[in-house]
Amino acid sequence: MSSETGETGKAGIIVAAGDASPLDKLSHAVVDDLIYNTLHDLLLKVHRDEKIARANTAAIKVEKLAMNAIDGATTDPKPDVEIETDAAIYKDGKVTLKGNPLKSTKEILCPRCHLPRLLHPTDGKGSRKPDPGVIYCKKHPYIEKPGYDIYGQTWVAPGPGRGKKKKDQKLDPNDPSSPAPGAEGSAKDRPPNVLSFPSATCSKCKRCILVTRLNNHMGSCIGNSGRNASRAAAQKISNGSNGGSQNNDNTPPGSQKGTPLPGSRAASPRKRDGDEFDEDAEESDQNNPKKKKAKPNALTKKVILKAKSPATPGNLKKDKPKGSSSLNVEQKVDDDAKDSTVQVAPKKPTPNPKAVSPAKKIKLSKPPLPSPAGKKGKRDRDMESESSGTLSSPPR
Amino acid sequence: MAARPATPASPKNHKVRAAQPGQPMYGCEHLQRLFNQDQATTNTSIQHYKAILRSIFDMTPLIPQTAKAIDGQIVTSLTPTYLCLQCPSTLTEEDRTKHGSKKSHRFYVDSRSGSLYCQMCDDLVWDPTFEELRLKKLGTGTFSNRKRKHEELFETSDPVRDNPTYISSNTTAASCKANGLRGIYNAGATCYQNVVLQSFLHNPILRNYYLSDGHSSGNCEMPHCLSCAMDDMFQDFYALENTNGYTAANILSGFWISEKKAFENLVTTKEQDAHEFFQFLAEELHERNGDGQKPESGSEHSCNCIIHQTFYGKLQSATTCQNCGGVTNQVQSFLDLSLPLENLGQKKGKKGSSRQTGSLTLQECLDEEYIKQDKCEYRCNKCSSMQQARRQTSIKRLPNVLSIQLKRFEYKQGRNERAAKIDTPVQFPLQLNMLPYTDRARTPDAKENYELARSCTYDLLSVVVHVGEIDTGHYVSYCRVGDQWFAFNDHKVELAQKSDVLNSRAYLLFYIVRSLS
Repeated sequence: MSSETGETGKAGIIVAAGDASPLDKLSHAVVDDLIYNTLHDLLLKVHRDEKIARANTAAIKVEKLAMNAIDGATTDPKPDVEIETDAAIYKDGKVTLKGNPLKSTKEILCPRCHLPRLLHPTDGKGSRKPDPGVIYCKKHPYIEKPGYDIYGQTWVAPGPGRGKKKKDQKLDPNDPSSPAPGAEGSAKDRPPNVLSFPSATCSKCKRCILVTRLNNHMGSCIGNSGRNASRAAAQKISNGSNGGSQNNDNTPPGSQKGTPLPGSRAASPRKRDGDEFDEDAEESDQNNPKKKKAKPNALTKKVILKAKSPATPGNLKKDKPKGSSSLNVEQKVDDDAKDSTVQVAPKKPTPNPKAVSPAKKIKLSKPPLPSPAGKKGKRDRDMESESSGTLSSPPR
Repeated sequence: MAARPATPASPKNHKVRAAQPGQPMYGCEHLQRLFNQDQATTNTSIQHYKAILRSIFDMTPLIPQTAKAIDGQIVTSLTPTYLCLQCPSTLTEEDRTKHGSKKSHRFYVDSRSGSLYCQMCDDLVWDPTFEELRLKKLGTGTFSNRKRKHEELFETSDPVRDNPTYISSNTTAASCKANGLRGIYNAGATCYQNVVLQSFLHNPILRNYYLSDGHSSGNCEMPHCLSCAMDDMFQDFYALENTNGYTAANILSGFWISEKKAFENLVTTKEQDAHEFFQFLAEELHERNGDGQKPESGSEHSCNCIIHQTFYGKLQSATTCQNCGGVTNQVQSFLDLSLPLENLGQKKGKKGSSRQTGSLTLQECLDEEYIKQDKCEYRCNKCSSMQQARRQTSIKRLPNVLSIQLKRFEYKQGRNERAAKIDTPVQFPLQLNMLPYTDRARTPDAKENYELARSCTYDLLSVVVHVGEIDTGHYVSYCRVGDQWFAFNDHKVELAQKSDVLNSRAYLLFYIVRSLS
């Protein structure tokens, strides 16, 4: 409206010089009006969120008082109670406002749990100390702090020293004390918001694997790269127990179906992974005789599972003759027994029913929830092993 | 006049307010008085409000932005004017008070947003009844309760589901802390999976599907089903209080176990293309949830599985023979739109001063593919010979979630033929109007049809960014939850500014249709 009269628009921020040409003045006024609109829209949004939140808070409060007055027991939608607060009136089962909720109501209650909302982040940008005497709604404002995530968490850096140490502990999956060493070993001297990488259970071999190595593990346990393992095993069978053939790089070409060229690993710039792999091989060569068994185990495992489940026909034929060699069968039994003592036995005494129920919380629970026990068990384990690294407290 | 019967003439004003605890009935005391006067006043108020909303959102903005001042002068303004709820006048902010004291009309509607101003409160009021109408108008363009197709899919004739007491007695509400914002641990070069999973997790359609038991992992017999793994993941994200990263072990094992010929090369321990993983996941989930038919890209195959309802649209290409003028139409369904950057970047580079400064906009890329015609060789049935033809591709049906891939790689011809990455910045908007790229854009009334335009308006939902070189690098993603953007970098979730999002070198873009959000 002011575009044709003044030097500026409604916001009055972009002002043309007094001696500017009419076109200059007009364009200044247009830009100024646009800025006004932008600010207006922003303000409108904040105003809407805030005022609705406060109005609802006023309603929640007065309803609570009304419910207390009724004493709960009635199911009448229009209980005969009249309650009045500074901000709202409860009458005939309806809530009406009194005055402007922006003035009458100071706090914001969560519409779901009816606890007060924490209005400032506890750390980082714009943080304030929360009142220790108040129980707040669990939905907190997100934290904005460099190096930390929105919950104020940070992670143990997988630096060279630390990473190696953890990995060394991790590497021996047959040691019963090792399932969650990352959490146990260094959790005590860490603040609670510093997390370490958790471990997860491989769905095939049920072993506990550090999450950062899970993909590689599954590659050798389930996937195509399992052929590397099988090849290594095949070579071992033919060469006797000469462990030197485990190195991946001398993959015979032409034996691969879809995997990228063998050279790509050597050329890969992701050094860490490559190093890890090599270390594995070295360690198992030098000081870890158990490891040698573990590799063919992956193979026999695969064969067994494939034989069980018709859904994965794949390269069954190729593996079968090897799998049926007496050496492997022996080891399989052997390792299976070990595995079950490591993985299954310690978990069984702690069947965590809590861990299952919240998972289904949102859902409509139909009374006879027909979930196969095996399935639930699997998730249970997954969750447990995940949280074992999370809570930075010893799981048992 | 306290009786507020549910007359069939105006069902809107008697919405189930009493059944909505934790919310006041009216926006303010004064509106309460207005509504409680008598039924006729209530009806006219709501009818007026609807008419005002229609004039604001369905017609050219010129009309609501033009006010007649008290002195008779007609003023058109860029800034908001106020439309009186109780009479047909439009007023400037200055004249609003005068009009109020003269006619004792107290309620005005903001001409740009449709929100209601109460003069007695001297404040904007957010009345539940009026807000419902406004949001409906903003979203779907109508006031009716007509449901979109996919919503009907979720509707089952389950009497249990409609019974609130049954629900409340058999469920526990998820904690207020469980909001779906968690990172996903990198299991060793799996960031390409994490970014796609995050964009699925924050896709409201998929979220609602899985959280409403669309695919219940408890009832699925399929071993290592990826859809069950998704179900478990949605549960963990939206029902648990855990803020630590998520370990996508089941997804990963489902991925390894999956035996898809087309994606054989994807299943490795190496770094992979996020777009390929997106296609893989979409096909896999389609097979688990859909009609079991293999989706053939290129065919007009469509099923009503959640993936098709979410991502799939249809393209129409019309080929016109230059010899006889005959037109052949071909319809294909698509999961995503792949936009090449290479040629366009070069073309623009020539026009501009240097190649480096040439940045593109998403709209330019879309123009190139879906507005401009291209020439091709084509075997014409009428002429029964090879002819020069013009081909024009446009979108016949838009999907609910539009996924766009910017082809950030090119194959350099030469001694060592290898792919290279195109780092050209592509500007993309938070709000995308897809109308020009649909076949309806060619109809003459499309330009004036605001309702049509609104139904083709998309909001940015998530962005996948690749940093690094073509053969190695890292994926990060941005997802929007409500109005807040978050940056997801594997297990780490941080707040993000809109400017961070818009300045990123996007690789995949996910837009959601406005009427759903």
